[in-house]
Formats: sequence, structure tokens, C-alpha cells
Amino acid sequence: MSRLVTGTRLRLSELVRQPLTLSLLLVLPPVVIEMYGVAVESFPQLPTLSADPATVGRMTGALFAVAFLAGLVGLFQVISARNGDERAAIAGFPRWVMLLTRLVTMFVVALVGAGVAFAVFNYRVAVAAPGLAFGVLVLAALVYGLLGVIVGTLLPRELEGSIVLVFLADMDNALSSGLFPIEASASLPVVGDVGVTDFVPLFHPHELFTAAVLDGDLAVEHLVPTVFWVLALLVVAFVAYDRVTGEQGTGFLTGVAS
Amino acid sequence: MTRIGTALRSGATELRRTPLLLALLVVAPAYVIYVFTLAAPEGPASVHVDGAVVQTTLPEAFPAFTTPMTAALLAGITGLFLMQTAASADARLGVAGYRAHQVVLARLGLLVGVAAVATAVSVGVMLTAFTPEHLAWFVLGTGLTALVYGMIGVLAGVALDRLPGVYLVLFGSMIDLFIFQNPLATDPPDAATFLPGHYPLQVVVEAGFTDSVALEPLGWTLAYLAVVTGLATLAFVRKLRVS
Repeated sequence: MSRLVTGTRLRLSELVRQPLTLSLLLVLPPVVIEMYGVAVESFPQLPTLSADPATVGRMTGALFAVAFLAGLVGLFQVISARNGDERAAIAGFPRWVMLLTRLVTMFVVALVGAGVAFAVFNYRVAVAAPGLAFGVLVLAALVYGLLGVIVGTLLPRELEGSIVLVFLADMDNALSSGLFPIEASASLPVVGDVGVTDFVPLFHPHELFTAAVLDGDLAVEHLVPTVFWVLALLVVAFVAYDRVTGEQGTGFLTGVAS
Repeated sequence: MTRIGTALRSGATELRRTPLLLALLVVAPAYVIYVFTLAAPEGPASVHVDGAVVQTTLPEAFPAFTTPMTAALLAGITGLFLMQTAASADARLGVAGYRAHQVVLARLGLLVGVAAVATAVSVGVMLTAFTPEHLAWFVLGTGLTALVYGMIGVLAGVALDRLPGVYLVLFGSMIDLFIFQNPLATDPPDAATFLPGHYPLQVVVEAGFTDSVALEPLGWTLAYLAVVTGLATLAFVRKLRVS
């Protein structure tokens, strides 16, 4: 337990000791939220928009800004872990503790990022259920943070990992935002009776967030898939990390001593 | 000239020997444009071109405005990491007798190559769904958008750590190219004019949907590109000297 605390404190200290990075990470999400609000106002009122364009823009911006921040933290935490953790393993840190420290660090950054973004969002938009909306932001951050961990585990070079995460997030943001009436597409593949866009990672968090902000409701039909996303990604992250480190003879699920 | 060629070749060889990166340079833009083309809703679209409105369809408008965005995103991230990863190798070239401008030209040449690949792939995929009125101008506008964002990526790579750098490149290009400069927007704010994507996107949209392409946005684009290239070069040289 003390190793987990020590490791996490070490990771957080690394972040805190880069004041420019830290301040940018705190400043950028609010700027993104406001920019989205202003930018989406310039679109004509689309029939699929659930509220006025500025509010829809801020909702999309808040969710995406917080989620992508966590995704990047997850990605770079794991990529740097691939090098630095070797020494920690030699020093006696178990692999699972090192992965947990990365996950806890990502979670703490996600929590802070979501807090700052929500404070700005709540100041600009009348949120019907503030606690619920904040919780959804944290869930969205967890989804992307874990995606970042998985991408970083499978693609351990920064450029390739960043390209994959950025293009994934880019598509996700556009398809889950509701800014375009994608449901009206004639060529969009469907699975059962829903479009494939319903399977992008932020689709359910976006719906949850919209319901919490506008109606103050907990959209249970979207909460279950969101929690499923988090749990499934957590399992994939652990298995992927174990397989990769296991190839070096140090996996914690494979039973090879570290 | 030989030294620049040698450094450029070694950079290109490094790229060639990273098949995953090469695959991503091709697959990532193809994937985004293809999915956007699939997801485009049926229906009419009013494309706003320099004060005029051109009627088209959403399945034609979607691939047209996602193509330059995709190329720009790829070039921007490559520019960012070009700075992040090349610093130590470039410092060694300096020790080996290379002048700063030779190293810089080689690196920027590599960025131009990546922007050209991103543009070619993006436009190639787009052509399966949409044929612009003036293909050559469209390619030029898309390539210039990619180059402008590539240079901004280089600047971000010098000034920022990788995490805020990637964050800035993604959101900068998304907000600028996908939202502020979106030709479907009716009344973008005045500030959108000053953003990097404004003039090259004007070239792209005019080339895509109108009979003629005005030279003025092209001129402004080249001026913008010259300024950001100058700034990126200065920042690059400064970083080389520091390291």
C-alpha cells in the first residue's frame, strides 16, 4: 500500500514540478469549452440539437476537453512507464503496483481537470443536476484515460500513440456531439437497429451529460453502457499491460516473477 | 546542398523503417474521411463561400471540409514530435559540422514530405465521394493547410511539453478547421478570420464548390505560411543552439 502511495506521489510530483505544463492543463479545458460555445453559435439551428447552439457547444467542449486530457495523461504515463518502470521493477516494485500508480495518477488528473472544467461550465450554463453532471465528466475522463493507457501499452512510441489517440478522439467528438444529424445518413452501417456511431466511446457519456445538464435526469439506459465501457477498458488495460510486460518475463497475470 | 540531402535522406529512411508510422500516415486520414463520408446525412447543404451561398448536399460537403482538417491534424502532430524527438540527434549533427540552417532545412523538408503524403492520401480518399470543381486548387489548398499546421506543430514542439502540445494541436485544428471555418456555419465570429485555417480553407472551399478560385486568399495563405515558417525556423535554430 505504501508503495502505491509512494509511486503515485512520485508521478504527481513530476506533473506538479512542470508549472507551465500544469497551468496549461488547467487553463486549456476552460478555453476549449468557451471556444466551442462561441464557435457552435455560428451554426444554423439544427433539428437534432437538444438546446441552444452555445450550450450544446459548451457541453461538447466540456466533455471532450476533460476526456482527451485524461486520455493524453494515460497515454504518456504508460509510455514513460515502459522505460522508467524497468528500474522500479529492479528496485522491487511489483508490476501491478506500477500500473496502479499510473492509473491513480491519471484518475487524480482527470478529477482535477473535470473539476476545473465543470466550474467554468457551471458558471456559464445553468446545470440542472450539478453533482450528476460532474460525475459524468469524471466517467468520460475515465473512459478516455483507460483508452490512452491501452493505446500507450500497444503503441509505445509517442508519435504513433498520439496519432491513434488524436484521430480516435477527433472522430468520437464529431460523431457523438449531436452537431450534425448523422442519424439521417443513408450509408451509415447499422448494428441491429442502431447506427455504428452509437458505439463510439463518448456516445453514452454525451447522452448522460446532456440529460444531467438539461433535465437533471440520470439516463440509466446510458449509464449502464458507460460503466460497461469503463470496466471493459480496465480489464483490457490490465491484460494488455501484462501481456506486454509479460513478454519481457515480468508479467503479473502470467505468473512470472518480476 | 549535399549535407541537406543527406540529412533529409536519413530522416526519410527513419520514417521508412517505422512501418507502423507509415501505415498510420495512410490509414488514419483514410479512416476519418471514409467514416465521415459514411456518416454524412442525406439532405441539402448551404455552403458559405466568401459571402455567397452555394447549394450542394451534405454527403458532398462533409468529405470536402474534413479532408484539409485531417491532413492538417497529421502534419501538426508530426511537426510537434519532429521537434520533440529530433533535438538530440540534431545536436549531434551540429557537432559533426552541420550548420544550423542545413539541419533546419532537412527537418522542414521532411515535414513537407509528410504533409504531401497526408494531402495525397486525404484527397485520394475524398475523391471516392466528392469531386471538387478544381482538383489542383483543392490539392494546393489542402496541402497549404497541412503545411501551416505542420509549422504550428513545430512551434508548439519548441514551446510546449508533449502533453499540452498534442492537446493544443488537436483542439486548435478541430476548433479552427472543423468549427470556425466550417463552410456550413452561417455567421462565424470575426476572430475566425485571424485563425491559421481561414485563408487556406477559403481556397479549399472555393476550389471545391465554385467556378473560379480567387488569388487573394492564396496570397494571404502564403504570407501566413511564410510567417509561421519563419517563426518555426527561428525557434528550431534557437533550440539547436541551446541543445
